[in-house]
Amino acid sequence: MSNTVRLADRTAFSSVDGAGLRTVIWFQGCVHRCKGCHNPSTHDLHGGEQFEISAVLNWIRSLHWKKVTFSGGDPFLQAEALYALVSALKQEGYDIWVYTGYTLDQIKKDSNMVKCLNHIDVLVDGPYISELKNPNLKFRGSSNQKIHYLTKMP
Amino acid sequence: MILQVVKRDGRRVDYDIQRIEDALFKAQAQTQQRGLKADFDVSRMASWVEEHLSKDKPELEIEIIQDTVEKTLREKHQDDCAKVYAMYRNERSKQREIRGSLMKALEQLTFQDEGSVKRENANIDGNTAMGMMLQYGSQASKRFAAHFLLRPEHAELHDSGAIHIHDLDFYAMGTLTCCQIDLVKLFENGFSTGQGSLREPQDIQSYAALAAIAIQSNQNDQHGGQSIPAFDVAMALGVRKTFRTIIREMGELLEHLSDAERDILNQIELEDKDSMLDPKLSRLINKALLKTERRTYQAMEALIHNLNTMHSRAGAQVPFSSLNFGTDVSVAGRMVSEQLLKAQEAGLGNGETPIFPILIFKVKEGINFNPGDVNYDLFRLALRVSAKRLFPNFSFLDASFNQVYYQAGKVETEVTYMGCRTRVLGNRCGEAQVNGRGNLSFTTINLVRLGIEHKGDWTAFDEMLDLRLNQVLNQLLTRKAYQARKQVKNFPFLMGQGIWRSSDGLKREDYIESVLNEGTLSIGFIGLAECLVAMMGQHHGACKDAQRQGLRIVQKMYDFCEVKSIELNLNITLLATPAEGLAGRFTQLDRKRYGVLPGVTDLEYYTNSFHVPVHYKCSIVDKLNIEGPYHAITPAGHISYVEIDGDPAQNVDAMEDIVRLMRSTNIGYGSINHPLDHDPVCGYRGVIDGDRCPQCGREEDAVGFQRIRRITGYLVGSLERFNPAKRAEVEARVKHGTTR
Repeated sequence: MSNTVRLADRTAFSSVDGAGLRTVIWFQGCVHRCKGCHNPSTHDLHGGEQFEISAVLNWIRSLHWKKVTFSGGDPFLQAEALYALVSALKQEGYDIWVYTGYTLDQIKKDSNMVKCLNHIDVLVDGPYISELKNPNLKFRGSSNQKIHYLTKMP
Repeated sequence: MILQVVKRDGRRVDYDIQRIEDALFKAQAQTQQRGLKADFDVSRMASWVEEHLSKDKPELEIEIIQDTVEKTLREKHQDDCAKVYAMYRNERSKQREIRGSLMKALEQLTFQDEGSVKRENANIDGNTAMGMMLQYGSQASKRFAAHFLLRPEHAELHDSGAIHIHDLDFYAMGTLTCCQIDLVKLFENGFSTGQGSLREPQDIQSYAALAAIAIQSNQNDQHGGQSIPAFDVAMALGVRKTFRTIIREMGELLEHLSDAERDILNQIELEDKDSMLDPKLSRLINKALLKTERRTYQAMEALIHNLNTMHSRAGAQVPFSSLNFGTDVSVAGRMVSEQLLKAQEAGLGNGETPIFPILIFKVKEGINFNPGDVNYDLFRLALRVSAKRLFPNFSFLDASFNQVYYQAGKVETEVTYMGCRTRVLGNRCGEAQVNGRGNLSFTTINLVRLGIEHKGDWTAFDEMLDLRLNQVLNQLLTRKAYQARKQVKNFPFLMGQGIWRSSDGLKREDYIESVLNEGTLSIGFIGLAECLVAMMGQHHGACKDAQRQGLRIVQKMYDFCEVKSIELNLNITLLATPAEGLAGRFTQLDRKRYGVLPGVTDLEYYTNSFHVPVHYKCSIVDKLNIEGPYHAITPAGHISYVEIDGDPAQNVDAMEDIVRLMRSTNIGYGSINHPLDHDPVCGYRGVIDGDRCPQCGREEDAVGFQRIRRITGYLVGSLERFNPAKRAEVEARVKHGTTR
């Protein structure tokens, strides 16, 4: 199992990446290539920077803030690293959101990806389709994307 | 032969040697009065002067003639008289200068559209006739105060930009800055506006209407803000009366009621609404309750409209109104808070965001802060409305320095803020409570200049700061002595109607001196960040050492105020100055003196009080952690802002998280800024990046987008009415929500 993860960036206390203020970890690498993506610099699978997972965890913990979001890029492209992160944080009581270009059904069919779901509170799924863009949607860009509350309804 | 003399304004008058003789005669008399030598024959001296004047020119400038008079006097060994003559000339030219600069300012107001003279205050519309009239008056009275009322040393400090004496244009009027109005007391026996008397109101609609009138009337007696400390408690009285009227009327109209039932309806009060077990009566009561709620909403809606449209100050400005609320847990009090918030959320006639009143939601653990608290629902509603309308702001009754005054059940001990940040609570000269009190005047120290002048030398800096503090205190006391000579009749509402604390004992002709001491004299400061950069190369947001020094400086100023308060038995308090009008003036003056210094004078403005510079990237938590400790040592008022991007109306939880962070960093008063854009064509409300509406996709054309931003605590529609320094500041703001 890999001890590292390739990241594009990280954000402290974002107000636009899920409910409440959230720490955001931006994964590097994406294959969906949605038209109108607002983070195209995160697509390159070899871009960004490689980090020790333990270092990422320590950075998240250092903020003393228990709401975290994984976005990207697509976090599920590095499913093992994502698993390591979410399983550790879930045990410590974190509230976890993940954004992905895959749909929930696609994730459920992938044995690597699916095991992450047990440690995620909210999954926002599906590719961004610019024709379905709506600025009034909460926490997502286009109306095909869905917010799945995996642990409990808000 | 000289025929004509050209005067300074270009007019020509006939030459007449008699005028030279007159001047010499006056100079001689003045000199002799001082016991100095001036023994000459006036007409002979005049002809000597004439001989010196060039005869071949048909006209001469007055300055040349005066120079010649002075020279001739010296030649004839009349040095004392020459000096007196020169002094007289200087005095005259100084007076001419005063008049000249006033005329220049008026010219600017009249013929120039741009520039910051018109926009010194974002809330005055200098383009209107009355607004311009007001600014003419303001320019004249400001200059009059500077030359005839201020002590010369204070005028010099002000002019040079070492300090800023706020509201100089109101100095001559002797107005006090602001007041916290106790509506309960005011309404109890009715009141008079000077134009007519009003009886004690009997329903919520009259309560709200009279609240607006009280604010407007008091605004005409003051130059600062008007704040209502416990708006919910005051209005709840009206709500209860309305309920009573409605339910009694129902009792009268319904014929099938028994006498016993009628009795019950005649006696029941809103607060007992849940004690009714009889289902029939209970239904009636619920109907009455809904009607009361509806009327309360309409009353709040009308109030908000009134406060945005009713003019004070000769029609150029709406009153600076603030309403504090949120802690009344009674049925009626909760209804007021809820309906006020809902009316704010709905906005004005076309859905515009109301600029006034400034709503301030009082956050208190055990009352509204935590899930399970009686008013937690109102806190959530306040967050939702603030996400949409920028108001309410949040004040924290549990912040250590506010909590020490808090007594459960005594609403007058709950801290009150004014929109721009002013706070008046502690009191050496009476009870520590908020009603009827306010600031007398405040003056701000330019910290940046001290930093530039003492670069790195803290001992010299401290000495100079001490001197400055004493100078400012002195100036405040001088102004207070001037204010004290004003009479009740000068402030017919504030003092005549007993709004100001203890003024109800005074008569029309009485001086107000005896009631001033419960007010505050405040020393403000600006540009801590740039001061620290000048002293040590880094500001307090970026460097722990700078933060230590920053806290030390502000603590030193706080201590000075405390010591002097005890010494003089007055309320002298330290203020984190809001920077309207001042932000650019200090910077311009310092840049002229010291040039462009990177990180110090290289922007259009200085940073507000103790704020982390708006262009500095840091997280919400970092910003609040850095600014939090300053709140406790700026008791005259403080505010911390958090800038977020995106539309928080879609993320009320984030709003709650921010307010909780403010609480945990011991902030006293906080506010969340976010872009508030509105496309009047499709109705979209949220963020409009660039010039294309994200909802309907139209480009901004003749029908512009409405963009509202907050400036010195007040909301301003579109960026047009900001002065240039403030506009630059708004454009430089970094969001704290997405900082990486």
